[in-house]
This record gives sequence, structure tokens and C-alpha cells, in this order.
Amino acid sequence: MNDHYAAPRHSLSPNAVKYWRMEELISNVIAGVILAVLLYLDWLFGWYSWIGWVLIGLAVIFLIGIVWSILSPPLTYKSWRYDLDEEFLHLQFGIWSRTEQLVPMTKIQAVSLTQGPLMRKYKLASLSVETMGSSHAIPALPKEKAAELRVKIAHFAKIKEVEQ
Amino acid sequence: MNENRRHHPSFILFKIGKLIRNSVFIFLFLFIFQSDNHSALFLYGRYIFLLFILWSIVSAVLNWLTTTYSLDNQRFYLRRGIFSKTEQSIPFSKVQNINRHTSFSHRLFGLTSISFETGIAGEDASVKFEVATKKEAARLEAAVQEPSKFVEDEPQTSLNETEAPACAEQVPYVSKPQDDRVIHFQPTHRDLLKASMTSFSFFLLVPLLASLLYNISEVIGIEERLDRIGTSLVSSSLGITAAILLIITASFIFGIVHTFIKYGRYEISSDSTRVYIKKGVLSEASFSIAKERVQAIEITQSFSKRIFGLAEVKLISAGSLSMESDDLSISSLYPFLPKKKAYSIVSELLPGYHIQEDMHRLPRRSFWVRMIKPSWLWLIATALLFYFQPNFLGINSTWWIASILLLVLVVISRILDFLHTRYCLNDEMIQLKNGGYTSTLFVTKRGKIVEVEITQNRIQRALGLSSLQTVTRARPIHTSYLEDVPDSLARTFQGWYRGRTKEVKLDTTNHDNSLPEFR
Repeated sequence: MNDHYAAPRHSLSPNAVKYWRMEELISNVIAGVILAVLLYLDWLFGWYSWIGWVLIGLAVIFLIGIVWSILSPPLTYKSWRYDLDEEFLHLQFGIWSRTEQLVPMTKIQAVSLTQGPLMRKYKLASLSVETMGSSHAIPALPKEKAAELRVKIAHFAKIKEVEQ
Repeated sequence: MNENRRHHPSFILFKIGKLIRNSVFIFLFLFIFQSDNHSALFLYGRYIFLLFILWSIVSAVLNWLTTTYSLDNQRFYLRRGIFSKTEQSIPFSKVQNINRHTSFSHRLFGLTSISFETGIAGEDASVKFEVATKKEAARLEAAVQEPSKFVEDEPQTSLNETEAPACAEQVPYVSKPQDDRVIHFQPTHRDLLKASMTSFSFFLLVPLLASLLYNISEVIGIEERLDRIGTSLVSSSLGITAAILLIITASFIFGIVHTFIKYGRYEISSDSTRVYIKKGVLSEASFSIAKERVQAIEITQSFSKRIFGLAEVKLISAGSLSMESDDLSISSLYPFLPKKKAYSIVSELLPGYHIQEDMHRLPRRSFWVRMIKPSWLWLIATALLFYFQPNFLGINSTWWIASILLLVLVVISRILDFLHTRYCLNDEMIQLKNGGYTSTLFVTKRGKIVEVEITQNRIQRALGLSSLQTVTRARPIHTSYLEDVPDSLARTFQGWYRGRTKEVKLDTTNHDNSLPEFR
């Protein structure tokens, strides 16, 4: 009975780290190019000085973002845990502040599986679950595992409480 | 199945009445005050206005003609739409609460309006009957409340559909015996006087007058005349004192009258299955909810109410609480209940809810966590004050005085919040209390909690503290927080929440309807 209340057991796919890094890399390259073009144009046309300061500010944030995007994926991966049984879906995540969510299966209204082009490359999928008030997502599960979980959750969630 | 019916014919009258009320100012402006203005704008404006009125009247009639409803012993069937038709069926089991409102004009005609609020998301969340005879409203209400006992009657307003001969057995509806209804609370004059002091409604007179004046001066220029009166008053000190005294007394009288009209004929009653709240002197509003549909209870005490020992009890429902404007909404049992009465009335109304008065407090260490937390409000306000350097009443150092005052208020609020925060878990009940100047006690059962969340940041982790959050159904979704509780409580809380499966009843009937969708 006691292990029932224990922390959730399962982690995400190990590929998740690679996937997040690649995703971050792509978006960083795009943001970097845009920023570089803007800085160049600012230098070329001598825009108002405050625009220059804003761009420098953005560049600083961008650099911090790059450092964080290199550091964070393994930490996010380590922090993520999920678990489910026929009664509850149990999620736990967060690097700085840890969040633990407990969602009764009977309150789940929809399950959906999404897979972007980059996720397909790493054979990943994300599973999201909608309840009356919010939606919860398990990012970056192995594709087969995600499909299996979707069927499982759909089956458990089929039983509804008497609505009161 | 019952036959299709149209809404009461005076539905059209009410629509037109509302139209007149909303457009009377435009009418006065276009045709009376600016009647000698012949510019193109006004000329075409008048035509467009007349067309708009004509179209509104025609659409009101067409709407009435095309909107029909019927009901059987399980659901409403609604049809509406002039060009594109909409058909809707809403099962009674989805109805969360029933709101009824009898405005002054309804009363003149002996009519009423009724709406059945469901927990469905979106526009079609309620089944509304804006105009209905009292008998019809009672019939609808009875049908929803006790579908099994529902029998049809009142054939006179039905549509004559040729293919459906009147073969349904027509048994006159026997009105539900009301003798098991118990009245729990009716305010006395003393209660009302206290209420008028704490509600601050005496502050309402001045802004009300100002907005009225503004509206009038939009149309006719009376400002000049007022200016003259004003200057003659201010010129003598006697005039000023007289004017101030007049305004103060008028405000007090207005406040008391306002409270008596708004909260005068309040009545909280219940029978074995439902809770009923009725209010209003000139226009009546009533609200009823099945006891098991109450999602949670909230008891709020503002600073002024705490001084007078009063509290407000709110029943949280998954359906909408108001019919049209906020003014008609009844979310609370009574906003000015004496605190003791508030606690006792909850357990009288809702069996199974027992508010336990001695609750657990937070440990010392959570006080420090709260004090060192940066106050974003104060930081941003101080930055703004420093940047703009306002010069209030000629004091140069306004910015740091204001900043310190704000900081003091924030710190007091946090201390009060720490002192107010209490919690209690017993059996299936949870009680969470928090809040600074205004404290809120939230009470619910674990079966009603839709999901829970436990969070812990690094500082909390170092001190062995956690924060809890519960989500319950309401409109919009209601979230309650309990911050900086010991870790052990967070574990207990999780285990306690898992125990909800012992209480919830599972719906084993219609599985195929509730299949989650795949996307």
C-alpha cells in the first residue's frame, strides 16, 4: 500500500535530450540570424539609439538563452517522471521548482498524441491529456510507448463518474 | 415526448421594450436635441436608426416564431434559427443550478424568467426562458428537479401539429408539496443596518450622481448652470459645510435604502434535496441547486466584515450563477451572515459538510519563506515611482514615502496571510483558509476535486515545505492554494486524495457516450 504513494516511476525516452538540443539549436540559429540582420541594419542605417540598446539587451538575453538551452535538456530529462494506474495519472517535473500532478482517470476527457517532423526523426511522440479544467502533456515519449499509453488511458478514462 | 412549444408571446414585447430602453438616448439625440441639424451625417443617421429599429422588431418576431422547445422526462429539445436552424437537446442530468428572475416589468404582467444552467463549456451552456408564465416556469422547474414524476399539462399554448394528434395522456400536474421546506435565514432590520455599514454602499451615491450628470450633460449643456451654482456655493464657508453635510446624510440614507432594497427580502431555505435562495424587493431573483451539485463552499471575510463579525458564504456551482448582468447573480447565501450563523447554516443546508473550527497552523519556518519572497508588486511600483518622480501635494520626496507605505501594506498583508492560513483534512473533507486583508475559507470534499498539484521550489525543498493546489469545477474553473505546508502534509494530502475512489460512484450506464476522443 505504501509504495502506492511513492514518486512516479517511469522516465521519458533517452532520445529526448538529443531531440530538445536539436530543437533548441534550430530555433537558436533562426533567432540568431534575425538578430544579426537587425544589428547589421541598425549599424548600416543608424537607427534611433534606443533601438540599438534594445537590440543589445535582446542579444544578451539570447546569449543567456543559448547557455540555458545547452544545460537544460539533461536536467529536464532527469526531472521528468510519470506513472499511471487504472485510477490516476501521476506526473512530476520541473527543474527549479518541482511540480507533481495527480489527475483521476475518470476526469480525463480526451487523449491525443502529437508528433512533429523533428520528433519523427528521433522516434518520439508527445502525449497530451485534457481534463475539465486544463491540459497536461508528457513530452517526448518513445513512439510505441506513447501509442500504448494512449490506448491504456483511453480505456481507463472510459469509465465516468456519476456527474454531480 | 412532449409537443413543441413557442415561448410566451410577450417575449416579443420584452424584446421591443429592451430595444426602446437601449436606444432611447440615441433617439432623443437624433430627433429631439439635434432636430434642426441637417448635415448629411444626421440625415442618414436618422434613416439608418429607423431601419435598425424596424429590423430589430422584425427579427424579434421571426425569432419568436422560429424558436420552439419541448421536453420529455429526460431532456430539453430546443429548436431555433431563422435561416440556419439549430437543434439542441440537453439532458436534465447536466443541469447544475436553476436561476429565476422576475424583473419589475415581468411582475407587471404576472410573468417570470427562468434559466437552467449546465456545466457545459461554451455559448449554449444554459437553457433560458426569458419570458414565461409562472405556471410554465414551475412546470419546467419541476420537470428538471424530478424528471421521474414529470407529467404533461397545459395544452393551450402548444402548436397544432397535424401529424401529432393529442394522444399523449394528459394528467394535470400536481404541484410539489412544499411543507418539507425549511427556512434557515431571513435578515432582520439589525442585520440589514450592519450590512449597510459594511457594504460601503453609501459611497455609491457620489459616483452614481456623477455618471448621471455626465450622461445628461452629454445631451443638454447644463454644465454652465452647474458651474454658476458651484461657484456661489464655494464662495461662502457656510455653503461648503452645508453642501458637505447634505452629501454625507444623503449618502448614508442612500446606502441604507440601497441595502434594504438589495438585501432586504433575502430568504435561504432548503428541503431534503435542494437549497433555495431568494432575494430582491422590486425585482425578484431566486436560485436553486441540488445539494449534491454544490461543488464547494467558500466563506469570505473582508476587513470591514471581520470588524462586525460578519462573513459571506458562497456556494460554488459548475453552472453559471447569473442570468444577464452581474447585478442579478446570486452566488452567495447571504453576504452579511454573522460568522457563527455562517458556520452552522452550512452544516444545516448541506449534510456531510461540517466545518471544523480548530484547524492546523503553518510552522514558523514558512513565515520566513513568505517574508523573503520578493514582492513583484512593490518592486515594479517602486521602479515606476522612481522613474516618474511624482509630485503629490507639493512634496518632492513622494516617491520614497509612497514606496515605504506600499511596502508596509505588503508586509502587513503577508503577516495577516500567515496568521490566517489554516488547514484541515478529515475523512473526505478538506478545509483551506488563507488571505491577507480578506480571508477565504474553502471547504470541499475530495470527490469534487478534479485534480491536485503539489509544487516545491528549491528554497521550500531546503526547508521541507511544499505548496498544494486543488482544482474544482466552477465557472470559470476554481483553483485553491495552500502554500508552504510541511512536506509530511503534502504526502498525507496525496494519499488522502487517492482515497477519493472510495466515495465516487461510477457511471456504468452509457459508456459509448463518454468515450474520450482520439486526435
